[in-house]
Amino acid sequence: MKLFQRSEFYLLVLIALICIFITSQNPNFLTLQNIYGVLRSASVNGIFAVGVLFVLILGGTPDVSFPAIAQVTQYVAVLALIAIGGGNIALAFAIAIVLGAVMGALNGIIIQVFRVTTIVVTIATFNLYFGMLYVLSRGDVLFEVPRPFHDFGGTLLFAREGANGAVYGLSLLPVLWLAVMIAGWFILRRTMLGRSIFAMGGDEVSAVRIGVNTFAVRLFVFAFVGALAGVAGIAHASLVLSAIPNSIVGVELEVIAAVVLGGASLFGGKGTVTGAMLGVLLFAILRNGLVLLNISSYWYDVTIGVAIILGMSANAWQQLRARRNQVHVAVEGEAPR
Amino acid sequence: MKPGQKSFLGRLSADAPLLFILIAMVVLMALLLPGRFLASYNLINLANQLPVLALLSIGMMVSMLSGGINLAIVAAANFTGIVTALTMNWLTGGAAATAGLPVILMSMAVGLAACMVIALLTGFLIAWLEIPPILATLGVMMLLDGLSIVMTRGYTLSGFPPFVIEIGNGSLLWAIPNAFVILVLVIVALHFVLNRSPFGFKLYMLGANPRAAEYSNIDTRIVLMKQYALSFLLAALTGFIMMGQFNSVKANYAESYVLVTVLACFLGGINPFGGDGRLSGIVLAAVILQTISSGVNLLGVDPFFVTAMWGAIILIVIAVSHVTGRYSVQTMIRALGLGRDRADAGSKTKE
Amino acid sequence: MQPYLQLDGISKSFAGVHALVDVDLTVNSGEILCLMGENGSGKSTLIKIVSGVQPQDSGTIRVEGQEVHDATTAEMIRHGIQVIYQDLSLMPNLTVAENIAMARTIREGRRLVNWGQMRQIAQEAMDRIGARIDPDATVGDLPVGLQQMVAICRAFTSDLRLLILDEPTASLNRTEIEHLLALVREMRGRGIAIIFITHKIDEVIDVADRVTCLRDGRNVGSLTGGDLTYDRIVALMTGREVVPVPFVARIDPTQAPVLSVRNLTKRHNFADVTFDLYPGEILGIAGLLGSGRTEIAKALFGFAPADSGEIRIGGKMQPIRNVREAVEAGIAYVPENRLTEGLFLQKAVGDNLVSNVIDDLTGGGILIDEERKAAMVTQWIDALSIKVADPSAPVRSLSGGNQQRVVIGKWLTRRPKVLILNGPTVGVDIAAKAYIYEIVHNLAHEGAGVILISDEAPEIVNNSNRILLVRGGRVQRELETRQTSAQDLHRMVAAS
Repeated sequence: MKLFQRSEFYLLVLIALICIFITSQNPNFLTLQNIYGVLRSASVNGIFAVGVLFVLILGGTPDVSFPAIAQVTQYVAVLALIAIGGGNIALAFAIAIVLGAVMGALNGIIIQVFRVTTIVVTIATFNLYFGMLYVLSRGDVLFEVPRPFHDFGGTLLFAREGANGAVYGLSLLPVLWLAVMIAGWFILRRTMLGRSIFAMGGDEVSAVRIGVNTFAVRLFVFAFVGALAGVAGIAHASLVLSAIPNSIVGVELEVIAAVVLGGASLFGGKGTVTGAMLGVLLFAILRNGLVLLNISSYWYDVTIGVAIILGMSANAWQQLRARRNQVHVAVEGEAPR
Repeated sequence: MKPGQKSFLGRLSADAPLLFILIAMVVLMALLLPGRFLASYNLINLANQLPVLALLSIGMMVSMLSGGINLAIVAAANFTGIVTALTMNWLTGGAAATAGLPVILMSMAVGLAACMVIALLTGFLIAWLEIPPILATLGVMMLLDGLSIVMTRGYTLSGFPPFVIEIGNGSLLWAIPNAFVILVLVIVALHFVLNRSPFGFKLYMLGANPRAAEYSNIDTRIVLMKQYALSFLLAALTGFIMMGQFNSVKANYAESYVLVTVLACFLGGINPFGGDGRLSGIVLAAVILQTISSGVNLLGVDPFFVTAMWGAIILIVIAVSHVTGRYSVQTMIRALGLGRDRADAGSKTKE
Repeated sequence: MQPYLQLDGISKSFAGVHALVDVDLTVNSGEILCLMGENGSGKSTLIKIVSGVQPQDSGTIRVEGQEVHDATTAEMIRHGIQVIYQDLSLMPNLTVAENIAMARTIREGRRLVNWGQMRQIAQEAMDRIGARIDPDATVGDLPVGLQQMVAICRAFTSDLRLLILDEPTASLNRTEIEHLLALVREMRGRGIAIIFITHKIDEVIDVADRVTCLRDGRNVGSLTGGDLTYDRIVALMTGREVVPVPFVARIDPTQAPVLSVRNLTKRHNFADVTFDLYPGEILGIAGLLGSGRTEIAKALFGFAPADSGEIRIGGKMQPIRNVREAVEAGIAYVPENRLTEGLFLQKAVGDNLVSNVIDDLTGGGILIDEERKAAMVTQWIDALSIKVADPSAPVRSLSGGNQQRVVIGKWLTRRPKVLILNGPTVGVDIAAKAYIYEIVHNLAHEGAGVILISDEAPEIVNNSNRILLVRGGRVQRELETRQTSAQDLHRMVAAS
């Protein structure tokens, strides 16, 4: 596919333009310190986005239950580490990943067995998981997360001292995000499993006929989304250093929008890890830009809404134009384009 | 019986599963809450609370009839309320509670107009630019929420004149709440719009097969524009009722209702791919959900338990209709739009 | 010689309906067996059983003399049995190489993707049948003919012994069909057994060694050699001889044309299209897929309007910029694809019938007059003899022929001055075809102008009085039907 036909390309141009504008207004934007900050704050959504991408490629409708899964796994992992009085971050990740995978797999099983659209099932499990978390936790906020979360969230690579004396550096969270993206890319591009996901998104009936085990693939995708939600939950707890039962939910639509802006199709079979990353970065940069431009954070939702609408409109307009110029018939005697 | 028309009994039987669930829920609540659930004050309370959920659900259903969705429906209700309240404040120099009827009506007209502008924008994005409705309305929802927050600086605006509060909380006909009367009027009007008018006919046809609709001399863009205008109109109406019921407006009020309205559509047998769905189904579904919500509330259960319960109910409905649908209640499985997802998704990609 | 595949006494029923009753069937290696039968005769059920998608209720399947019990898809593929489905079963979002190679890599139980090897597998398969397609092209971007090649190449990634082609030529143009038939003959030469399912009798005569016909789920007999003639095959399929009634135009020479088109042009679609259509005429448009025939029709109907040129209706200039203007001027269009363009499958037969005239059923008010609507539905169901017990039944519950009557009926309700039919009998069985021709002839006799676009030369020759030959987006020739035989037309279209 030609470069300028891809939505990733347009997204990249858009991001570049926004970056140029923000920098022209506030040169602090392009400092390493600020860039590290943007990456760090984008990591949780970025990890979610990889999972959302998988579901969108698989086809059907988007999954919306991942924030609830992240919320539950985060809470359980923090509680578990508190209970054993410390432990380490690997244990927290292990707990969250296993629990998340199980919760996600349940979505996949229900969708496969009852043949119901993804969004309906995941709305149901979202409410179920989130509601049960509140009921069982009585809404208690865990302000004191155990030491490993502090250590993980506080570790800085390439640390150096800033102008104001504060130490800054690259947090481990963007590194984690990068690892998740590489894993996602590898699965999608280099494994038969990944190609089977694309095949199902392209045409599920045909996929069955060429021997794709649709149940196994679907189960994997939803378990993977759940596991990534667990990873994101731990990342989030390391970022905010607390476990509040409603601190993550509400991001679902923004993450889905980011992935779709990055070129994933809502009808399945299409999407890239790069696109999902760019979509998440766009929103993170917009949020950061508002702060740097001293615009009230109240404007954030407006900006995101306008960005989604403009991004989709540009994309749609380009598609409509391409369709108008499509050659239906090679007309004799007509000058070729 | 004339050909082409379904008998009253035929229609009733289509709603039989929902009626059965409703009766079962009422009986259950009456048993769990002896003397309290069926008490007149509670029934009036129910009638007072129902309209917000029911109107939003109907608005969601209208958007689903063409295979679309309106995620902005609650945001639009709040937005309308906020624009109305701010206009009232501005016209009265900050003393909204003292506004006279002309000012109130003018403010409501401004709120409604603002909501209709958004409806036109949404319709344009979907009908002309052919952006998937789920995405277009998501963008509009974020835009509206954002505008609402910007306009209110995140605060709650409260203190409205008695007329506004009457809309939401008063009752002119004996003890029947005004909001309930409005709901009944809307249902009657919508019945004619959806089931008897050419617009309603075209909307269902468009939902069943947009391409065939274009070939059948149906101006699909105009129908889509009208459809989203109608959906946002119902949102605006809900916005006015919410103003009266809470005596305040705020961005992000009742946000969780978006998911509950989707649940109502699912329970009410609205086909999310468009073309099928009865008004009676969605109304019954809204009544069922409100009955459960109010009853559980009376039981003093944790409100988050209710959230969890919504999820469990959807899963149970899915499972039950799957098991029973195969053998006896095939209409239900069809009414719930089950089992069509994969096949339809497949045929869509093939076009 | 032992047949490659032998079916004995296969029966299958669904919910009490007998889809197959005691069917015997054999096919030998190096033989092309054409399987024929009208829609619903049980062909697709038979294919599903042979390919292991569904089990039979009773009867035996033998492959090379060995009985196969409880066949699965994977097992039948191991036996070398491959099916090319009518819808091709391709993944439109994947590349040519992946579509060809993926079935094999999955079968071999690979976990990782080796893109180089995928291309190699694809290339080998393409070489075997002499196909040249860019292995990195996205399948959804290819023309249907090439997609078909991709599907055939996929069958060649395994040891192929029996190839089943389910209506492979339905969406191909003439050159693509010639190529496909040549390929099928070549496969026969290599000793591959072939079951070829088609509706097109000329193809059968062209390619078959033997024809076996199913009717109502039963094998009603086979024909070979000199018995493979048009009339014998039709008789076998329908159980009787069907004699086509040719169209005889009754044109009043004093009348002005109902439709005049002058220099109609649309970039990338067609150019300088000029013709007249008189009341009472049926004007055939013959041309290959991609010749511009459908695009001209869509422009006349306002669906994809022309850039320049004149359209006159009844002598009056009539701009057509959208469907509404065309419809109000009295033009009707029965689209190519009944299922995706013509019908609202889940909606009632009655609602489908009145969907074009719903604005006229309000009787001046704002609500639909239900009595007028019901009366109109009854009138058209009777007029077109649509077999339906209850007009509120969804149209998807009807047979193909009845569905097509609904599509045509939808437009007759507007009493059009000009009716454009695009492939009106695709996928309709022979008896139902005859009835549709009768409707169209009558419409012309009542004074409407009809334009008939079709792939089948005999259909055009039997049902028109004039023919436009379209190629490269231009009208190349105008022919008098009386002086044109189906063979001539077939040759002229194929030559273009």
